[in-house]
Amino acid sequence: MIRNLVRVTMMLAFLVILGSLGPANVLQADPDRPPQVLPSGFEGTDRLLRDVERAENAPLHSAWIVESSRFLNVPHRAFQPDVGVPPFVDLPVNVGIIEGPDGNLTLFDTGWKQLAYIFDWNTSCCWKGIRAQLTAIGLDPNKVRRIVLGHGHWDHAGQISEFPDAVLYIQKEELKQIDFFLNYPVDFNAGHIRAVNTVDPLTGAQVGPPQQACARTPVCGYPPQTVQEILGKVLHGNAKIVDGRHEIADGLVIHPAFRGHTYGSQLLQVNTSRGQLVFGSDTYSSWTGIRDWLVANIQQTDTIQQFLAYEKCYVLASRLNSFNNCVSAHEPTSYTAAYPLTANWWNIPNGNCSRAAELVLAPGKTTHVPANPDRTPPGQCVSTIPPHTISP
Amino acid sequence: MSEARRQFRMPPRALVLSLVSVSVVSILTFAVSRAVTTTSTPVTAKQAARPPRPALTSGEEAYMRAMWPIHGDVERSLMRASLGQIFYKTRDLSRDELKIRMEQALLTYRGAETRIRTLEPPASLRNDHEQYLAAVGLFQQAAVEALKMFKDGREDHLLAAYPKSQEGSDKIREVGGKFWPNEFPPN
Repeated sequence: MIRNLVRVTMMLAFLVILGSLGPANVLQADPDRPPQVLPSGFEGTDRLLRDVERAENAPLHSAWIVESSRFLNVPHRAFQPDVGVPPFVDLPVNVGIIEGPDGNLTLFDTGWKQLAYIFDWNTSCCWKGIRAQLTAIGLDPNKVRRIVLGHGHWDHAGQISEFPDAVLYIQKEELKQIDFFLNYPVDFNAGHIRAVNTVDPLTGAQVGPPQQACARTPVCGYPPQTVQEILGKVLHGNAKIVDGRHEIADGLVIHPAFRGHTYGSQLLQVNTSRGQLVFGSDTYSSWTGIRDWLVANIQQTDTIQQFLAYEKCYVLASRLNSFNNCVSAHEPTSYTAAYPLTANWWNIPNGNCSRAAELVLAPGKTTHVPANPDRTPPGQCVSTIPPHTISP
Repeated sequence: MSEARRQFRMPPRALVLSLVSVSVVSILTFAVSRAVTTTSTPVTAKQAARPPRPALTSGEEAYMRAMWPIHGDVERSLMRASLGQIFYKTRDLSRDELKIRMEQALLTYRGAETRIRTLEPPASLRNDHEQYLAAVGLFQQAAVEALKMFKDGREDHLLAAYPKSQEGSDKIREVGGKFWPNEFPPN
């Protein structure tokens, strides 16, 4: 009996020793980056801080935002699941404008193009073409040399062809995502995960787009028209398809935010006299979401990645102004004192109620805010419907 | 310890209660001030009155439903062709793979034209019907032009094809926005 016990014990000990000889880190995460993060999408804090140091020795930029259009009466919880008061909100679609030391302009996103969508049956207002907006706030649209797309959804990448000579910057990951989901198998998801809406693949019923189904996934925001505009840039040699971090110029750095909203989302760090501004497009769809660490926009691919992207702004802006320097695309309090960065706002002259805000000026630059700015509140400004080809 | 200081010495329980009270008041003050200063007060913009979408007739509805799967096929093929050209340019797609995509797209466009021509649009949608057919025609021309690249090796055929596919994509976006306004909702 004792001999048997000794044998069993020895056998167990042998197995334990054998097991311990195997690779010890099979189930351990890579200590250098979070799990499920593409290598080209990850930037450690040290690296981000080095970018801050480098940028601080670079020229200072001026920056503005303009409102391309405005979604009206959006259910608040559809935008921010944790915030339900008030129940409906208006969401601007903000486009960033950055002026470099040479006077040339870089756009961060390009706003809407799709007139029929805007003006027919949908609840939105205040659209104005971006070239006209630039002119109206005293900037020369012919000086736009670069377009950085925070992501490629139609409401942010819609007027690319208005700037035929500008160089487009977009992440390869963004384009790979669209291509992948064009052919995503539909057997198990009823077609809800696709880059283009389609007929119900299981029943064959021709019922029109599944209401708020495809639309609630970030892969469903790319009309062929938008992809065509990107193709135009590529074919004309005016596109840079980047993979991860990319320094455009001194003080102007692209940072990946893969899956922070879409698969290939990206941020733009801009060196200014108020510290590093970080433009985030829909990865930063809500500024209060960044301030309060709330998920914003349930369409983001991965909540963790969105929070990691928030953290990038906190790191990049850590020397001055912190989260106040994160530039949001859809923050409802944009163009009010509640979002301090955008407090210096005005209604764009002849801008169909669209608004502009001067974020920061480089030293020696004169303000573009009119001497007597029109600050008629949105509730009192009546927008009109411009002529368009498709009518009710 | 002097007599005066001894007189003002608080008992421990009172001291703890005072500290707790001060803390609670401070937290409440901070919370209220933060709420007052940061709570958003979104306002709804006014917009010029627009007519409600008129109800569709049964003929219009049937036509749009019949167009929907065709539209999906056209859109997917167009996007695969567009992205194929981009990935070819970035050397992520081979010449042979691009050729396959372009040939498949051409087949889809031709099939779509045949399917659309079998539909009888109501008079109110006749113009949209023609617009869509014109778009599909432009896509075919663009694909034929692009496929020449695989015969003579000249990549400038892609550039020559581009304006046609761009014009076509604008057209189907316009018609699509009218037929299926929720196809690409706020995103």
